[in-house]
Amino acid sequence: MLLEAEGIVKAFGSFRAVDQASLVVAENELIGLIGPNGAGKSTFFNCLAGDTRPTSGTIRFRGQEITRLSPDRHARLGLARTFQVPIVFAGMTVRENVMVGALLRHPHRRRAAAEADELLHFTGLAERAEMPVTALGTSGRKRVEIARALATEPRLLLLDEALAGLTSSEVEAAIELVERIHARGVTLIVVEHIMEVIHRLTERVLVFHQGRVIAEGTPAEVTADPTVIAAYLGRRRRRAR
Amino acid sequence: MIPLRRAWPVAVLVILAIAPFLTANPFYQRVAALVVLAAISASAWNVIGGYAGQISFGHSIYFGIGAYASLLLFGRFGLPPIAGAPLGIVASFVVSLIIGPPTFRLRGHYFSMGTFAIAALAEILVVNWKFAGGAIGLMGPAMPRSLADLLFRNSLPYYAIFLAVLALLLALTHLMQRSRMGFYLRAIGAGERAAESLGVPVQRYKLYALLISGAFTALAGSLYAVMIGFVDPESGFGILISVNMVVIAALGGVGTLFGPLAGAIILVPLQETTNALLGGSGTGAAYVAYGLIIMLIARFSPGGLAELWPLINRNGRRRAA
Ligand SMILES: Nc1ncnc2c1ncn2[C@@H]1O[C@H](COP(=O)(O)OP(=O)(O)OP(=O)(O)O)[C@@H](O)[C@H]1O
Ligand SMILES: [Mg+2]
Repeated sequence: MLLEAEGIVKAFGSFRAVDQASLVVAENELIGLIGPNGAGKSTFFNCLAGDTRPTSGTIRFRGQEITRLSPDRHARLGLARTFQVPIVFAGMTVRENVMVGALLRHPHRRRAAAEADELLHFTGLAERAEMPVTALGTSGRKRVEIARALATEPRLLLLDEALAGLTSSEVEAAIELVERIHARGVTLIVVEHIMEVIHRLTERVLVFHQGRVIAEGTPAEVTADPTVIAAYLGRRRRRAR
Repeated sequence: MIPLRRAWPVAVLVILAIAPFLTANPFYQRVAALVVLAAISASAWNVIGGYAGQISFGHSIYFGIGAYASLLLFGRFGLPPIAGAPLGIVASFVVSLIIGPPTFRLRGHYFSMGTFAIAALAEILVVNWKFAGGAIGLMGPAMPRSLADLLFRNSLPYYAIFLAVLALLLALTHLMQRSRMGFYLRAIGAGERAAESLGVPVQRYKLYALLISGAFTALAGSLYAVMIGFVDPESGFGILISVNMVVIAALGGVGTLFGPLAGAIILVPLQETTNALLGGSGTGAAYVAYGLIIMLIARFSPGGLAELWPLINRNGRRRAA
């Protein structure tokens, strides 16, 4: 197994943002993670990426326990991620942003620049390579984050709402990009709100609700699951008030 | 062929570099030496404060260590003050290793406040340290015993020495800027969390930056003591020493190769002229002026002059389309 997360709990005070979540990922899978706002998806990602230490539970990646390793060690081992709200390196060009990722495996600048250019091409950013990264909009920044993460040559990539806030034509392009990343041999876990995207991309989905995994299966199975429907409807009803 | 765009800042630097030799006015010569000295410490600060974005308000601790190392070795052991430079650098490494790891856990303003507090504490300790002259401070040699005392009647030899050190520091910074370390430091400054997620060992790189930054700041302190021949807690460890580095770098442009030098060229002559006019070192006026400068930079040009002047921005690197 590529990744095994077992009984992950993340508590903020007495509140459990993630509550006994488990997930097993095989090489080359493309897994979806859905759930209403505040369900704990991003917090779960942060635990997997070493960005925050789980209160309890264990995470193994390629057979090695990584639960308490720092984020940079995760990257080195081949686990990369993007952020729900992109964190780009202001003051750098688009290419330089991607070079920061590439420098992990290619310490020499020239080589890293060449690697970065390959990924800029792959992600459709080649024409914008010289632009200051802050000149890009949301969709561009999300692509920079993906290119940057890919530059670390990951085995597993966690995408946190890489498609949120995009226009419908941008969404099409982004779906196609995710498919191409998968075709490169990268295993993916994607958090996504748009069900259509989940249906098109993934074969297996986990549904989060109040920190717990309440359902797991094919997209068709989980969308038909009454518990899932209740979780989403309950949310909507609360909001309507 | 060097493109004209890159050649002419170099030409300006060369002209500025030889200008002091063309004047016989001791005031101008002294100001020139002080400009370069301030450029050394501000450029050293720039490594951690500019590139890595960790705004230290405690660098006076390094400057003071360098200055005191020089004059302690002279005062207590009769060595030429410059012999204190390597001692100051070694001491700066020790200080970096002690204060770096805990303060690096603090982010943003908290880091600035933490470093400020440590430096303020250091000043108090030195005031009460009898062996190091307490509140009165330490003197350098009054008469040169040998050339090694580096005691010169005019400021030009100091100017030349300082210029060599500055050139070394800027060359190192330039190499760093182009290397993995430069990229990593800028990434840390722009977004620590993202940098970490890309495999940057953040704490380790911050420490590397602080070691380099502190060492050159300590060297600047030693050079200051050699030239001025006197240091007391305020002129070595004073808050204004730290603020000076920050303001000079911010004025010229933090995280740029030539920004701190540009800031020093503008600010130091202003300071020296007002000091000469008002008499003494009118520290009250200096604080007011710094406050104004900080406000102006924050309001109109957060990137400093480098932002207004693309040619010196990041060493004339290609500008974005
Ligand atoms: N650092 C924190 N301190 C306290 N509470 C937190 C913290 N981070 C997240 N939370 C809370 O944990 C819960 C889960 O948040 P999380 O961001 O993981 O949800 P999510 O499923 O990603 O939601 P969204 O779809 O809105 O991105 C939320 O109630 C949030 O307010
Ligand atoms: Mg989220």
